[in-house]
Amino acid sequence: MKKVACDERPGWRSYAESVGFEFHTFDGEPYWDETAYYQFNLSQIEQDLEQPTEELHQMAVDLVDYVIRDEEKLQQLAIPEKFWDFVADSWRNKAPSLYGRLDLVYDGNGPAKLLELNYDTPTSLFETGFFQWVWLEDQLMRGKVPQGADQFNSLQDQLEAAFAELPLANPLYFASVANSIEDKGTVMYLMDIAKQAGLDSRFIELEQLGEASGQLVDLDGYAIEGLFKLYPWEFMLQEDFASVILSSQTQWLEPGWKMLLSNKGILPLLWQKHPGHPNLLESHFEQPGQSFGAGWVRKPLFSREGANVELVTPSGEKISEPGPYADSPFIRQKFQPLPKFGDSYTMIGSWVVGNSAAGIGIREDNSLITKDSSRFLPHIILD
Amino acid sequence: MKQKVLKRSKKAALVLMVPTATFLMAGCGQEEAVQTAAFETVDQCAAFYNPEQCRADLGQALAMHTQVAPKYTDKAACETDFGVGQCETPAQAAAAAGTEQVPQQAQASSGGFFMPMMMGFLAGQMLNRSGGQLKQPVQAQPLYKSRDDRSTFRTATNTPVAKGVGPTYIKPSSVQPKPAGMVNRGGFGAQAQKRSSSASSFGG
Repeated sequence: MKKVACDERPGWRSYAESVGFEFHTFDGEPYWDETAYYQFNLSQIEQDLEQPTEELHQMAVDLVDYVIRDEEKLQQLAIPEKFWDFVADSWRNKAPSLYGRLDLVYDGNGPAKLLELNYDTPTSLFETGFFQWVWLEDQLMRGKVPQGADQFNSLQDQLEAAFAELPLANPLYFASVANSIEDKGTVMYLMDIAKQAGLDSRFIELEQLGEASGQLVDLDGYAIEGLFKLYPWEFMLQEDFASVILSSQTQWLEPGWKMLLSNKGILPLLWQKHPGHPNLLESHFEQPGQSFGAGWVRKPLFSREGANVELVTPSGEKISEPGPYADSPFIRQKFQPLPKFGDSYTMIGSWVVGNSAAGIGIREDNSLITKDSSRFLPHIILD
Repeated sequence: MKQKVLKRSKKAALVLMVPTATFLMAGCGQEEAVQTAAFETVDQCAAFYNPEQCRADLGQALAMHTQVAPKYTDKAACETDFGVGQCETPAQAAAAAGTEQVPQQAQASSGGFFMPMMMGFLAGQMLNRSGGQLKQPVQAQPLYKSRDDRSTFRTATNTPVAKGVGPTYIKPSSVQPKPAGMVNRGGFGAQAQKRSSSASSFGG
């Protein structure tokens, strides 16, 4: 694994905008960054990333069946009691799930370590599945990357197959919040793939979702029988339409049982079940009044994009990221530094579609906490 | 020579997100009518279809009845449209369907309301003849009869679908079930508003 400087494609920004990738630059700072790429060999990809991704995914999914039967675990994960049956039923009815992303620490050697699972509302999907794929094709054509270079990225193929094969409602509605162009971009990409798989995909702003006699309805008042929502379950459970989740005849993507896996509390549960697993970091639920020492990271059960994460490095340096998610319990995770390439700390997002590993996206940040504004860089495989 | 197996997608194409590609979407064909059927009982249905499916369809129709049936605040107005003795409350509907549970909205609307009795059900058409799943199936749903036309089965939105029991041809879009009554909006998204000062995305 190494970082290689590379010429940017001339005019890539206009191209990005023409395909709806309007968030390539955030507040004047680059988000998509193609001034360099990461290079892996095939065994790094297959043995160190692909295989552990599928194994970790299976370990996590296997926990669902055990958590839904255990009230203490459901309480530790802060799932409101009113929704326990909803979560358990979604699992027992095998409610289909589309995708997820595991965030891994990996430097090219040794076992990748799981930082967390983004199993409810994972993003950076378009960047990974489409834009990075096009980047490689373009750069191969221009001779800017070595001929024969490949990429660990079957994301779009696998998503299209999933939309075609899963027992999904049709039409399938897609919702994201009105004021996020990033989330809208992700949802538009998924709608595009669903369309190519033969589904009638329809967008509705999350705030425009309607309720009539307990049923979720679209703008014309028609029942919504299938809804992909790029909006966290833990938010929905607190909002005015929380009861509609229980009464509406709607197939949800991601399904209710994914709220157990997107929860940081799954990390201590994984550690309890598989202590010492080479791809896991030691994790525990935070006890009241527990002091917070060097070499540990503190994360809320519910948080996104690094928000409200704080850590103390083994040498005692304190780093924290503010955020709006301080209202849930916390976990502690053993500190595992992200590898540094040049001036940047690098994290790997590893995708799962169904139960298969489907590719990676690389994020870089100037700090040890990866966040929303962290840059996205493409990668190649070269053997 | 061994074919190298690539680790990347064979294609990564867009159809909706690319403006120039919109013509691909145009020119969808006329919607075709599909065969389904109206029945009053599972036995009638079982003469045409798998009895298991018939029971499931009747069950779905009964479950939808309270949600989609036209609602009236007084009984007389309901009977003007559907005939004397042909209207009921959600509680009566639930009792008639043999369920113990009163549907949710009966509790929600304290004054109660009246709706026509379910007179039959439209058989769902989830499978085509070769056994494949249809992309736009007809949903099993309750059927009603108006006061002045006791032979025609109609959907909750007053679309006539069949003259009596038996097979009929309909366009799936014409019988898309639609809930009756007031629609509330804005019940999701409050947490995003509350937390939006520092986040541009609610994914992660």
